[in-house]
This record gives sequence, C-alpha cells and structure tokens, in this order.
Amino acid sequence: MRQTLRRQRWWLARIIALPFQLIVFAAVSFLLVHNIPGDPVAVLTGGQADAANRAAIEKQLGLDGSLPTQLMRYLGHTLTFDLGHSYITGRSVASEFGDRLPATIELTLMGVFLSAVLALGLSYLAVTRPRNPVSYLVRGYARIAGGLPDFAVGVAAVFVFYATLHWAPAPLGRLSSDVDDVPKVTGLPFLDTILTGRFDASWSMAGHLALPVATLVISQAGVLVKMLIGGLEEAVDAAPTRFRIASGASPAMVRLSLVRRALPPAVTTCGTLFGYALGGAVIVEAIFGFAGIGSYLSDSVSSGDIPAMQGFLVIVAAVSLLVFLLVDLANMSLDPRRRPGARTD
Amino acid sequence: MTSTTPTSTTPAPTTPAPTTPASPTTAAADPLVGAPLAAPSAVARPERRGWTRWPRLALPLVPLAALVALAVIGPWLTPHNPERVSGPTSAPPSGEHLFGTDTSGLDVFSQTLAAFRTNVWIATVAVLLATAGGALLGLLTGMNESARGPRGLAARLLGRIADFVQAVPGMLLGLITVAFYGASQTTLVLTLGVVLAPLQARLVRTEVLRVRSDAYVDAARMAGLSELRLTLRHVLPNSCRPAMENLSVLFAVSIILTASLGFLGAGLPTPKPEWGAMISRGATDAAVGNWWPATFPTLALIITVAIIAAASSALLRRRTR
Repeated sequence: MRQTLRRQRWWLARIIALPFQLIVFAAVSFLLVHNIPGDPVAVLTGGQADAANRAAIEKQLGLDGSLPTQLMRYLGHTLTFDLGHSYITGRSVASEFGDRLPATIELTLMGVFLSAVLALGLSYLAVTRPRNPVSYLVRGYARIAGGLPDFAVGVAAVFVFYATLHWAPAPLGRLSSDVDDVPKVTGLPFLDTILTGRFDASWSMAGHLALPVATLVISQAGVLVKMLIGGLEEAVDAAPTRFRIASGASPAMVRLSLVRRALPPAVTTCGTLFGYALGGAVIVEAIFGFAGIGSYLSDSVSSGDIPAMQGFLVIVAAVSLLVFLLVDLANMSLDPRRRPGARTD
Repeated sequence: MTSTTPTSTTPAPTTPAPTTPASPTTAAADPLVGAPLAAPSAVARPERRGWTRWPRLALPLVPLAALVALAVIGPWLTPHNPERVSGPTSAPPSGEHLFGTDTSGLDVFSQTLAAFRTNVWIATVAVLLATAGGALLGLLTGMNESARGPRGLAARLLGRIADFVQAVPGMLLGLITVAFYGASQTTLVLTLGVVLAPLQARLVRTEVLRVRSDAYVDAARMAGLSELRLTLRHVLPNSCRPAMENLSVLFAVSIILTASLGFLGAGLPTPKPEWGAMISRGATDAAVGNWWPATFPTLALIITVAIIAAASSALLRRRTR
C-alpha cells in the first residue's frame, strides 16, 4: 500500500496542493482589493451616509471588524463557494458566474483545441515537407506569431465576411433571431443544443461560432506552431530518432516517438494559451455580441462592483490553476523525467 | 506545496523565443562579458570590410529609427487636431482627410499619428520596468531558493507569488487593475510591468540556476567578493541574455495588451489618441462597411510590432556572430 502511494505521489501531491494554492490566491486577492483607494460605502450612498447608517451598511457589505477577521470570514465564505453579493444589483456573484462562465469556457476550449490540432498538423507538415509551398506559408505565419491581435482579426473578420461578403450571420449573439432559445442542461450552449436534440439550433450556432472561433485560432495558433516546429526539428535529428530508424522500427513508431518528444513544451504553451484565449474570448464576445463573462466583467468594471471583480479574480485563477494542473500532469505522463524527485543527470 | 509542485520546473511558457542556454562559445563572445571581444563578427569574418558590413547591419535599424522619430515628433505632424472634431462624420479617405474620419468626425490620420507616442511610449516604459523588475526577482529567487532557513523560504515564496500572478491571464488582470486604480498612463505602465515581470523573472531564474554553480562564480566568491557584488558583477551579465532576447516579444505583447485594454474600454479616456480605442470605435464602422477607421490603426500596430521584431533579431544576430 505504502509502495503504491509512493509511486503515485507525483500526481497525488499535485492535486492535493491545488486547494491550498487557491486559498492563498484568494487571500492575496482579498488583500490587494482591500488596499484599493476609495470607500465603497461612499460610492454606494453617494457620500450621504451618517455614522449609524454607515455602520449598518458596512456590516451588510462585510466590511466591519478588523482586517484579519474580514479575511478569515472571506476565506470561509470562499470555501463554501459563496463569493458575496454584488454591491450594485445585490445578486450572488457565484450564481452570476454559474450562468455565464460555462459559455465562455466552451468558446475558449473550442479555440484552444482547434489551435492545437491545427498547429500539430501544420508544424508536422512544415518539418517533414520543407519544400512544400504550404510549408513556407506556415513558417511565415509562425514568424509573425503573437503579432496578430485578436481584436484586429475579429474586426477584420466581421468587416470581410459579414459587412462585405454577407457570408456570416450578424455578430449579435450565438443564435439567429428566428431560432428559439435552447433550454439549459449543462450550461455549455453548443453542447446543450445537441443534448436537447435541437439540431436546427446547433446549425445556427455553428454558423455564428465559425468566425469567433476562427478569430481565436488565427490569433493564437502561431505561437504554438512556432514552438512545435522548433521542437520537431530538434527531435527529428536527435539520437533517439536515429536509434529507432537504425533498429528498424516502423515509420509509425518513429513518428509517435518524434511527436512525444516534441510535445511537452507545446503542452505547456497550450496551458498559457488557454489563459490568453480566455482573455481573447472576452474580446471576441464583445465583438460578436455573445453572452458570457465578458459583458459581466465590463459591466462590473464600469460600475466599480468590487465583489464581482474580486470573484472574477478568484474564479479565473481557479480555472487557470486547474488548467496548469492538467498541463503538468500531461507533461509528467509524456515525460517521466519531469516528475518531482526524478534524477535527470 | 513548496518543493513537490513542479509548476516552477516547467519552461517559460509564453516566450516563443528560443531560450536555449547560451553555449560556452556564445557566452565567450558576448560583449557583455568580455569587453575586448566587442567586435566578434570582425574576428569571425576577416574578409568583410567595414564599409560593406555597416550598411548591412544598419539597414534593419532604419525602420526602428523612423519609429522612434514618429513616436517623438508624431503629435506635431498631424494635419488636424487629433482630439477635436475636424470634418464630416464617417467620411471616406480623401485629400483633406488622408485616412478618412470616424463616426464622431475625428481625423483618423491625425489620430493614428498621434497615437504612436501614446502606444510606443507606454510599451517601452512597461517593458523596461518589467525587465528590471523581472531581473531583480529572478536573481533573488535563483540565488536564494535552495538556501536553508528564512532566506530560502522567502525566495521560494516570492517565486510562488510570481507563479500566481502568471496564473491570471494578463489581460484580465490588467482590466481589473485599471478598473480599480483608474485609467492613466501611469496605471497602464505599472500594470503591464507587473503582468510581464514574472515572464522575465522566470527566464532570468532559469539562467541563474545554471550560472550560479559555474567555476568563475566560485572563484569570485573565494576571492572575497561580497554576495551582492558577485551577483551583480558576474551572475547578472551571464544570465540576462534570454531576457534580452525576449524584449521584442514583450514589446509586442505590451503594445497589444495596451490596445486590448483600450479596445475593451479600460484604456485611456476617449479623445486621447490610442490605437486600441480607435479600433474599438472603428469596429462599429466596420460592421456597416466603412473599413477605414479600424484598418489604419491596426496597420500601424502591426507594422510597429514587425519593426521591433526585425530590429531586435538583427541586433541579436550581430551579437551572437
């Protein structure tokens, strides 16, 4: 039993650490937000509060008591998934996020997944067929990696495919106006249309999603392609490849080993890309009129809604830490040398 | 959660620049290390004469010089006041308005020119700040993190905090900070500095871990150099190269981040010329078929990023050879 535990430590320890990391992050974000200049009570009442009123409002907002008390209370609430209530609308921050986050995550995942597939294919082509004209294009694209801002790509896409060519539907949401809304099952809009059997809605949504997802992929995949071309080129010429060819391994095995060795840095990049794509999704949502956390964030930013923004920090950090965890686990499975405690030299 | 979590062992993810540790030969040719080797290319290629070599080296820097000039004098070259209405709304490009006007009648050409100063200035200061802060952070964590006692603990904690900052996507963090502290050039620069510093810190730390056990560092220590002098004099020059190579990437990222924030309405207040805000206002125009208000600031942005990338790769190539 102990032997098994010790052997599985590399991933168990990582998973157990996650909640602690989140608590630390919540505490740090609380302290950061607490040090912001400005008085929420004054903002809320327009500076009209007298002393008695003020104490009541502070109590209601959870701003009474010393800093450590407030911090402990905040952490306690966070542990029970209670992120407080909006100063402005009074609605629970957690439920607002529950309504909006899945849609954004779905968009982000679509973007990252397609970027990964596309990048793998393109970089493999560029490395194995260097004289192919497509390969030159791919390398040129990789060179400008990161230089294509997502908002510019999005605006250009709307201009070309909606305003000029009229191929794409109006950038005003996920569904055309003549399609009825789909009941919620999982909260992931596209998955819901399939689960409820509303394939007319799936079709309409696919049409609306094409441009936004393409925007994300075009602006994000370049970094990944660049990374993979570098990794593959190094792996093609490395000793393990020569050994496999010399020992008569099948071409499929050689390719598998190539990709496996080139993949870990790209998987790490995928994790970071997820963060960028989440930011990009907020922008894409603004351009294409999608419902998601983007509009909620800009609303709470413009109204100075501190609990909403604080909740936003914690939730986005939780999502990002979860993604980093998956990235680390994937890398540690691909390359056992990356597991903690492994000796590399 | 200190030593078992391997997040810190993953290579710097957002830096597509190849961060292969400099081989001994390039380290020896690095002008930062040995001043007498300041012209390594002349040593490597004796057949090249100075007068054929110089134009080739200076050529990639011409666009950079033009960019800097635009950033400095751009606001004085504008034919119209970029912050005042100067003509009919949504007029297409013409002799009077070279790039046309936007929905509120602002001259797009003047705005694009004047924005060179805003965007390039913010990005430059932010990148310098991030690199200085990142180098400091990287040195501190790299030199101390395996030490015992409170020093090592503090260094590991610092590294963890940098990881946390990196865990939140930069744009969202920027959006929230700007919302909290108000939109101004200072806030934008500081926010970008904080967002980008962990990237540089990670690069420097990786190099410090490699350098700190090198023989010359031990030699300097035995010669009686204090830990601070030793770090500044020997470890820093030998471990800042990947961070330097990353400068152009960071510059592109910060130009784009500034513009993204402007695009989402968290940038500088409206009439202030800024590419992101211009593109955001132009987006509504683009949806009804007016291409000019969004196209020109986008082109300016992409060209700026390309110029910086080309210039930095030219400069770095000159160094490595």
